[in-house]
Amino acid sequence: MRAEETLAGGTSICRRTIIAGATGALLTAPFIGRAHAASGPLTFWQPHAPGGPVPTQAAWFENTVQRWNKQNPEQINLVYVPNSEYMNGSKLQTAFASGEGPDLFIISPGDFLRYYNGGILQDLSPFIDAQAQADFPANVIATRRVGGKFFGVPMEVEPMAMYYSVEAFEKAGLNEHDVPQSWEALLELGRKLTSAKQYGLLFETTPGYYQNYTWYPFLWQGHGDIQASNKSVFNSPATIQALRFWQDAIKSGSAPRKPLGGGGWDIVPNLASGYCAIQNCGIWGIAALRGGAKDFRYGVFRLPVPPGGEYMTIGGGWAFVANARGRNPEAAASFCAWALASSKPDSVQRVIDWCTVAKSDMPPRNSAFVQGAKAFDTDFLKVFKDSIYPKARGEPRVPPPIYQAISQAIQACQLNGEDPAKQADLASQQIDGFLGTYSGAPIL
Amino acid sequence: MHASSSRRGSGLTLRRRERIAGVLFVLPDLLGLALFAFLPMLLALGIGFFTVDGFDSYRFIGMANYRRMVHDQLFLQSQRVTPEYVAALAPSLYLSGLGLALLVQRQSRLSGLLRTMFFMPQMVSLVVVAIIWQVLLVDKLGIVSQGLSLFSVANLSLLGDPRFALASLVVISVWFLMGFYMLIFLGGLQDIPREYYEAARMDGATPVKSLFYITLPLLKPTSFFVLLVSAVAAVAGSQAFDLVYVTTKGGPANSTSFAIYYIYQEAFQYSEFGYASAMATTLVVMLMAMTLLLFALTHGGRFEQGQ
Repeated sequence: MRAEETLAGGTSICRRTIIAGATGALLTAPFIGRAHAASGPLTFWQPHAPGGPVPTQAAWFENTVQRWNKQNPEQINLVYVPNSEYMNGSKLQTAFASGEGPDLFIISPGDFLRYYNGGILQDLSPFIDAQAQADFPANVIATRRVGGKFFGVPMEVEPMAMYYSVEAFEKAGLNEHDVPQSWEALLELGRKLTSAKQYGLLFETTPGYYQNYTWYPFLWQGHGDIQASNKSVFNSPATIQALRFWQDAIKSGSAPRKPLGGGGWDIVPNLASGYCAIQNCGIWGIAALRGGAKDFRYGVFRLPVPPGGEYMTIGGGWAFVANARGRNPEAAASFCAWALASSKPDSVQRVIDWCTVAKSDMPPRNSAFVQGAKAFDTDFLKVFKDSIYPKARGEPRVPPPIYQAISQAIQACQLNGEDPAKQADLASQQIDGFLGTYSGAPIL
Repeated sequence: MHASSSRRGSGLTLRRRERIAGVLFVLPDLLGLALFAFLPMLLALGIGFFTVDGFDSYRFIGMANYRRMVHDQLFLQSQRVTPEYVAALAPSLYLSGLGLALLVQRQSRLSGLLRTMFFMPQMVSLVVVAIIWQVLLVDKLGIVSQGLSLFSVANLSLLGDPRFALASLVVISVWFLMGFYMLIFLGGLQDIPREYYEAARMDGATPVKSLFYITLPLLKPTSFFVLLVSAVAAVAGSQAFDLVYVTTKGGPANSTSFAIYYIYQEAFQYSEFGYASAMATTLVVMLMAMTLLLFALTHGGRFEQGQ
C-alpha cells in the first residue's frame, strides 16, 4: 500500500491534493477578511503618546485615556507611532490591509475619503447629542461629515499664516507696520530680506499633502477652486496666478528650494535659526517656538492677497475616528464623543487644553471659545482668533488622484519653472478624468 | 563488497544519502526563499489583477492596472528617471570600485587603513547617511554650498533643483556603495596570478599596459558581476528607496521619483495596492529581461564560449 493513499481514518488524500490545497490557501489568504481578537483593550494609534516628542501633548493623551479607563469597563491602550511613520509610513496601511487596524486613530481631512470609502469609519452621530453637534462650526465639521452624519470629531483647527523674525526685520530697518498686504509686496520684501546666509521667505517645497494644504489658500484668494458639481474648475486664472506666485518666490532667489528640519512646517530650524526671515506656517508654530526657541522674537500676520483677491486661509487639523471593523466600534465611537464632542464642561475643557496647553490651535467648537475665552485671548492666539481664523476655509477632502494632479502642477511650476497655464490645464484634465470614474463620498 | 558497505546503516546508497544531505542543507534557504520571496511575488502577481483598497476589498479588473500604467504620467516619469539613475550609478560604481581596489590591493598598513575607511560607509544606516548628506548639502549654509561659493558658484540647490537632484543622489549612492564594490574587485584582483604581471614587466610592459592587457581582461567575470549587481541595486536596492524617502520624497518636480519609490507611494500612501503590485510585477519583468540580456551577451559572464 502506498503511503499517500490513505491518511488517518482512511480519508483518501493524495500528496498532490495536499500541495494544491496548501497553495490555494496561501494564494487566497490575502483575499480573505480577518477577524479581530474579541478581547483585550481597544488600541488608539496616534503620533503623540505615550512618550511622544512633545511632553504636553503626550500628557494630554495620557490623561484623557486614563480618565476614560477609570470610568469605563472598555479599556483603551495608547499606541505611539512616530510622526513620520504615521504621516508617510506604511504602518497604518499595512495594519488595515491585514485586518489588524487600530480601534481608534486620528486622521486629517486629506485622508478622510480613503478611509470613509473603504468602509472603515464608524458613524459617531448616535453618540453625539444634538447640542454638541451644533457646537461645531459648519466650515470645520463639513469635511468630517457625510450625509449629515459625523464620521470624525476634530480636535483642532490649524489655520495658516505668515511668521516673521523681528530681528531680521529690524536689521532691514523694518517694523510690524511693514508687514506686506499683497503678494507683490511680500515678494518685494522677500527680496529685500534675502542675504548670503538668509532667505527672505519660505514656502513648503517638499511634495506631499502638506504642500498642497499650504498652497490652497493662495488658490482660493483669487476665487479659484478644484472642482464644482463633479467637474474640474482647476484650470482658471486663480490657479495660474497662485502657481506663478510660488514660482516667482523661487525664481527670484528669495525662497529656498529646500527647507531645513522636517520641512516647511518646521518653524524652529527655519525661522528661529535665521535660515529665513518670513515663513508660511500654521498656528502650531506658536507652540513650537514656545517649546523650541523661547527667546526668539517673532510676529505673525495674515496671508497677503493677490490683486482683486479676497483674504482667506485654510483650517485643517486632526480628528478622532473609530474603526467600524474594530473590536468594539460602539465603545470606540463613544470614546470619541466623550473625549471631544460631549456637551459636558470637561469635554469642552479637554478641547481648550489641547488647543492652548498641549498645542497652539484654534478650537473646533464654538463653546470652547466661550469657556476658554481667557486662554484664546492671549498672545498670538488672539491674533489668530481675531484676524486670521475668521476667514478660514476647511481643508479640502480629495481622493489621492486629485491630490496628485495638483501636487504635480505645484512642483512643476515651483521648482522646475514650467508654464503655470500649461500645468493648470494638464492637472485639470487629470482631475476631470478621475471625476468621471469616481464613486464615493462627496469631494469637498 | 563495495555495494554493501555503501548501503551500511540506512540501506541507502552513498549517492542517495549525499543527495538527501545536500537537499537538507539547502532546505532552510529554500524554505525561506519560498516563503519570503517566491510566495510574495506570486501574490503580487495575483493582486495586480485586482483593485485593492487596503481595506479587504478586492475587485477583479483584469489587465486594467497594466493599461493604467501606459497613461500614468508619474509612472512614465519614474520609468525615465530610473534608467537615468542606473546609467549613471552602475558605471560610476564600476569605476570607483575598481579604482579603489587598485589603490589598496597591495598589502601594507596604509592600504589596510584605507580599505577600512572606504568600506566604513557600508557600516552606517542609509537613513543616517541620507541625513548627514542632507546637512552637507543644505542651501546657502551647507559645507558643500559654502565650498562652491569659494569658486563663485553660489545659490546652487543640489537637492532642491531638478537639474542637480538626481546627480546628487548618484554621488551619495556611490559614496555609500563604492567600498562594497571595492571588496568585490579586490577578490577578483587576488585571483589573477602574479606571474602574469612579472612576465609583462620583464617584457617591458608599463603599468598602464598591464592594466589594459592583463587586469581588465581577467577581471571580466568580476566586472560582469559588478555591473549586473549594481544595475539591479540601482533599480531595487535599498539606497534607491531610503535615500529618496529621506532626502527628496521623489521631488523636486518628480526628478528623483524612482520606480520603487513611486510603487511605495501608490501602495502605502494612496492605498492602491493592486496598481502598485502591477507596477512591481512590471519592474520585476523588466529587471529579469535586463539580466537575461546581460547573460546572453556575455555567455553567462564567461564572455567567451568554452572558457
